[in-house]
Amino acid sequence: MRRIFNMGIEHKKARWGWFFVIPSLAFFAVFSFYPIMNAFYTSLFRKRLLDLRPPKFIGFANYEYLLKSPDFWNSVKATFIFTLGTFIPIVVFSLLLAVFIMSRRRFHKFFQMAYYSPAVLSSVVAAAIWLLIFDPRGLANTTMNTLLGTVGKDYKWLATSGMVRLSTILVYFWKYIGYFTIIFITGLASIPQSLHEAARIDGANGWKDFWHITLPLLKPTTVLVSIMSMLQCLKTFSTQYLFTQSGAPTEPINVITLNIYNTAIRDHNIGRASAMSIILFGIMLFFTWLQFRVSKSGGEVDY
Amino acid sequence: MKTIRKQSVVVDVLIWAFLIVTAIVILAPIVFMFTASLMPSKDILKMPYPWIPKDFYMDNYTQAIRGNDGSFIYPRNILNSFIVAGAVSLSTVLLSALTGYGLAKFPFKGRNLVFLLIMATMMIPFEAIMIPLYLVATSLKIQNSYVGLILPFMINAFGIFLMRQYLITFPDEIIDAARIDGSGEFSIFWRIILPNSAPAIATLAILTFRSQWDNLLWPLLISQSEEMKTIPLYIVKFAMEKHTNEGAMMAAAAIASIPILILFLALSKYFVSGASLHSSRKG
Repeated sequence: MRRIFNMGIEHKKARWGWFFVIPSLAFFAVFSFYPIMNAFYTSLFRKRLLDLRPPKFIGFANYEYLLKSPDFWNSVKATFIFTLGTFIPIVVFSLLLAVFIMSRRRFHKFFQMAYYSPAVLSSVVAAAIWLLIFDPRGLANTTMNTLLGTVGKDYKWLATSGMVRLSTILVYFWKYIGYFTIIFITGLASIPQSLHEAARIDGANGWKDFWHITLPLLKPTTVLVSIMSMLQCLKTFSTQYLFTQSGAPTEPINVITLNIYNTAIRDHNIGRASAMSIILFGIMLFFTWLQFRVSKSGGEVDY
Repeated sequence: MKTIRKQSVVVDVLIWAFLIVTAIVILAPIVFMFTASLMPSKDILKMPYPWIPKDFYMDNYTQAIRGNDGSFIYPRNILNSFIVAGAVSLSTVLLSALTGYGLAKFPFKGRNLVFLLIMATMMIPFEAIMIPLYLVATSLKIQNSYVGLILPFMINAFGIFLMRQYLITFPDEIIDAARIDGSGEFSIFWRIILPNSAPAIATLAILTFRSQWDNLLWPLLISQSEEMKTIPLYIVKFAMEKHTNEGAMMAAAAIASIPILILFLALSKYFVSGASLHSSRKG
């Protein structure tokens, strides 16, 4: 009797469980799984927006085209230059800032908030501010001239291809440095204070303590920050979009997302844009897989 | 002993200096935005930049709000941003809490698989599915509407993950006691689970609001008329117009930033916990 009663309750619970979960599943089916499958499907067709002819199945021809297209390889190059140029300095400096903040006894909160504040602003706002700073008569030139002792030199922030790449990297670095500093601070706070004290008693100075205690124990956080910031960089769009819209040369900062957008919306070539989307998805999937793998193998640290 | 102390004082001062200089450099562009928004253009591009506005020059704000064509569309776009970000936050919080609760407290066959499927959607970047989503929106005829702006963002996997982790430690006794008292499952969710998840809900709501406030790509695809544009689109358009001067551009940017900065100053705790929560996302 009791068994039956219990089964009844479990049955009921299972029904409610499904009931609570179904709306989300239905949502993801329509807005995540269907679109990604559709993107793959469409990438096998010659399909144009506003075209009355039915899409024509062409197998992997879109991919073949892209792999031979200098324009697409340029986008891959632009994306990787941006990503490497941004995420490595972000990891190094956010780690440094986090360690420095935590080494202070006071003002933790002030520094965290100050560094984090750019991340709160919209990316479009960030790009608009920096567009003015990079103006030939703007703050960037003034600052560089003062620092390097040059007089009235224009560093052409938005004109030459090397500089415009550097400019987008600077904007992103500025925007996200505080965000990752906070993640490092969370990681640092989870290292037991007793370990540092033990190291001090054994005669380690601050530098040795950092090198032999903090850094090894912070490895999982470092890996996490690296991959998160890398994924974030691979998806960059707003800064490049606003910069090119306001006249900066497109080629050096024509990142994959921008290329997808232009291929689909400006050139109406949905099939080719979908193939690009799938390639981007593949790249990001690889790094996400890496994140899961690394956080599984090295995620747990024994103190 | 003495030299060590001397050395550590120097290091101490250097670290303070580094932290303070970094704070100044990071805050400078934000200060630049606000001060430039109060200056006539000829002052903004003066070298060196005069950091303090001489008199509060409000014409920039008038121009930003009025628009170059005098259409006063910006207030409408701001309203749109509030509506979209607000609606998305509300639905994300409710649906994530519901699903997270279901996954945390109701054992059912296939629960792990469901959880895995939901987590898998985190690997799909929006940028890779925006074109098919755009085609879905066109076939549903919801482009250029609030429904179209809101619908694709109503739930997100991270929110479900967050709520599930939060609710997994919620005491079962309280839920069982409510059941014995005769409460229905929905009323337990509404009266007990939701009010007791306030910190997680606040964090999730703020994260969601901020990311929608920032959303450029999706509105760029589906908002065609000026009336349905959101703040980022207005700023892009306004910045490109010939008659927009530097001050007006910064005024438009400042207006876009004030609500979110107020939110940040008032609720910084949740912004910070939101950032550090991302780091606990281990699958």
